[in-house]
Amino acid sequence: MKKLIFFFLLFFSQLSFSAMNHNGMTMDEKGMVMNSNPDTLPKDCKKISEDVHFTVHAGHKYAKKFNGKMYAFDQQQWDVKPCSRIKITFINDDDIRHQFMIHGLPGYLYPKGMFHIELYGKGEKEGFFIVPSQPKTYLVHCEVPQHMEKGMKAQLKVAGGDQDLPSIPGLTEPVTPDSYEVSWNQASWAILVLSVLVGFAGPFFLLMRYKNSK
Amino acid sequence: MLRSALIFLLLILLVSVYWLLPSPVEKSALNIPATVSDSARQSSGYVNPCQNDFSEWREGFEIEGVEINPSPFCQPDNPYEIATFVKGVNNVSMQTLMQTRLAEDFLTKTDDLDGDGDPDIIRIKMEVIELNGFTPDGDYVFPAYDIAPGIQPGLWVFAPKTRGMAEKHFRSKIAHALLRAPSPVIRVEQGDKVYITLENTHYFPHTIHFHGVDHPWRLKNGKNNDGDPTTGAPAVFPGEKRTYEMQPRQAGTMFYHCHVQTDKHLVMGLNGMFVVEENRPNNWVQTFNVGAGQVRHPSVAVKEAYDQEYDLHYQAIDKKLATIIQQANDPRLVAKRMNRQYNMTEASENYFLLNGHSFPYTLRDSMVVVKPNQKIKLRIANAQRSAMAIHFHGHKAKVTHFDGVPLLPAAQVTRDVFEIAPAQRIDLNLQTENDGLHSFGPGVWLFHDHVETGITTDGMAPGGNISTVVYQDLLDDMGMPKIREEPVNRYFNKNYYAKKNPVWNMGDFKQLLGDAGMLEVNYFRLIMLGLISGLIAAILFFLVRQPSGNGDQE
Repeated sequence: MKKLIFFFLLFFSQLSFSAMNHNGMTMDEKGMVMNSNPDTLPKDCKKISEDVHFTVHAGHKYAKKFNGKMYAFDQQQWDVKPCSRIKITFINDDDIRHQFMIHGLPGYLYPKGMFHIELYGKGEKEGFFIVPSQPKTYLVHCEVPQHMEKGMKAQLKVAGGDQDLPSIPGLTEPVTPDSYEVSWNQASWAILVLSVLVGFAGPFFLLMRYKNSK
Repeated sequence: MLRSALIFLLLILLVSVYWLLPSPVEKSALNIPATVSDSARQSSGYVNPCQNDFSEWREGFEIEGVEINPSPFCQPDNPYEIATFVKGVNNVSMQTLMQTRLAEDFLTKTDDLDGDGDPDIIRIKMEVIELNGFTPDGDYVFPAYDIAPGIQPGLWVFAPKTRGMAEKHFRSKIAHALLRAPSPVIRVEQGDKVYITLENTHYFPHTIHFHGVDHPWRLKNGKNNDGDPTTGAPAVFPGEKRTYEMQPRQAGTMFYHCHVQTDKHLVMGLNGMFVVEENRPNNWVQTFNVGAGQVRHPSVAVKEAYDQEYDLHYQAIDKKLATIIQQANDPRLVAKRMNRQYNMTEASENYFLLNGHSFPYTLRDSMVVVKPNQKIKLRIANAQRSAMAIHFHGHKAKVTHFDGVPLLPAAQVTRDVFEIAPAQRIDLNLQTENDGLHSFGPGVWLFHDHVETGITTDGMAPGGNISTVVYQDLLDDMGMPKIREEPVNRYFNKNYYAKKNPVWNMGDFKQLLGDAGMLEVNYFRLIMLGLISGLIAAILFFLVRQPSGNGDQE
């Protein structure tokens, strides 16, 4: 009987934690969506200019096309009009945690200025956010330590954006780039020697000719 | 004739240049420089000893029916996380879970297999987190984790699966409390069926090997389960996961670590304590002790015999190894430098950590806080490369277990220095009875490795794994030991561990033992040197322009 009650309790407590909505956050054992906003307009928008839908994949396989990266989204930049309503379908192709985290949105609509979808493993979730009207570039990244650093970084440009963010794979330069060895070989040495000879010989013959002509 | 004279002059000038050559250090017989004043130092480097962020967490709690002992430290563990570690995410309310940074799938506890009132199927998810890692976005590390004032070595840790931001606060770069060294202590009950899933969130392959924990080498489904990629299954590569299974039949203090390139990965921090608690009825154990230290919800068996329980995890870091991950971003460059260019046989240990901190940060969360006439169970693991000799001031403790195996009563010796081999665990019974043997009475008593390298932070003492056994009356309201203010100010200082501050910079002796100032540059000699060098150049030029043998042909 005691055992039965125990299982009963376990069963109910398990129900209680699945898919709850809490302070603008829906979360369950698959992941969470934070500050999804399908209907409230930013103060500077009179109406929604257009509805756009982006499907964003995340995983280590999307980093293969970039040398020296480990994780990436399948796209690195999205462009939208001012006051767009954006639907994100976020798909995680890895067996680990990934995030679609966007920063810098107005804090009165999105606490901490964030819209965030997180997946605890393979799967997908969706959410909405409406962007304000002014031109701005928003950071999109996964904040699991070393995921953004190793390539999972992108940007969302509203009305063309106001800048390019650094270190976006294939798109923008890092602030602190890596150094690589240079492949000096016989040919490059030969070219250097040849260049020295040419650099010497050209002016030398010109000078000789000038002297002779005098 | 002129030419020969010039060459002779040249030789004399060269000799005088040698004599006039400036040097960074010069002897000074009478002109002794004065002591550098404190105001001449550029920054104070002072760090607040205790930020007192969550003072309310220090009290005793009952959350979700879990009794959580008071924790008097400056940085107490979050009691809501403790409750979640005890009950599992599936047995706590959303309100409790929202007070934590834990992912909803990180720990479930179900199925009371032996019908004794506690769950016996334990499913755990672990991630691999890099601390103080490289970022291509600027000259800083992320997420930042200071082991001591201003000391941020690159580290890898296993961590309970978390959710959301990695930082402590919005717009901070400091890692939140669950992302820290050491890898957390894992606690299960004897006979539990334990499933531990490694979700490799890092950019290198890793595994978990359960050192000393009863586990099958191969599972019934044929999958290899030992975590060694040489004799078993391949490592878990980035973005992949693997579940290890075990049902430990024996209790004791064990160990776990990554077994990929073990020499590097273990030393980088991928190791932790694994405690199997004795089976008892209604024994909900605290599955994680993040940051080790005090166990706020001890098991039933420990409570039967002891008043308190502490996990003490010792590790050492080689700064050469630790900086490799901070000097490049490309995983291929990091892999080459770490696996093939770095040579561990030529390496040393520079930073010595107790529960992820070096002194004085050990005072924030890694002391042993006692009252008179208590019995305290200390579980100690040596995750260093070198052996240790743990010494307690003012106490002699009794060793009860080696590597999780109980010693016969006659072998349970009482000593004040305990030698611990690398990867070895010992359990001690620390008694605070003031009898001149077990305890010499109340105090703020140090305990530390007596291999003296261990009490330094990259050679700067006092640092390393120094901590204290402190009697509770000698703690202040913020959980810091009541000691003189002067040493607190001196050691909670980045400049001290950056070796910029003189060690005995105090009182009257500031002048007598402070830093000697520098000598003024000798401008007479400097100008002479310049003039002579110019003269030499002129003579050389003259000599080269003149064809040999004849002084004035042109």
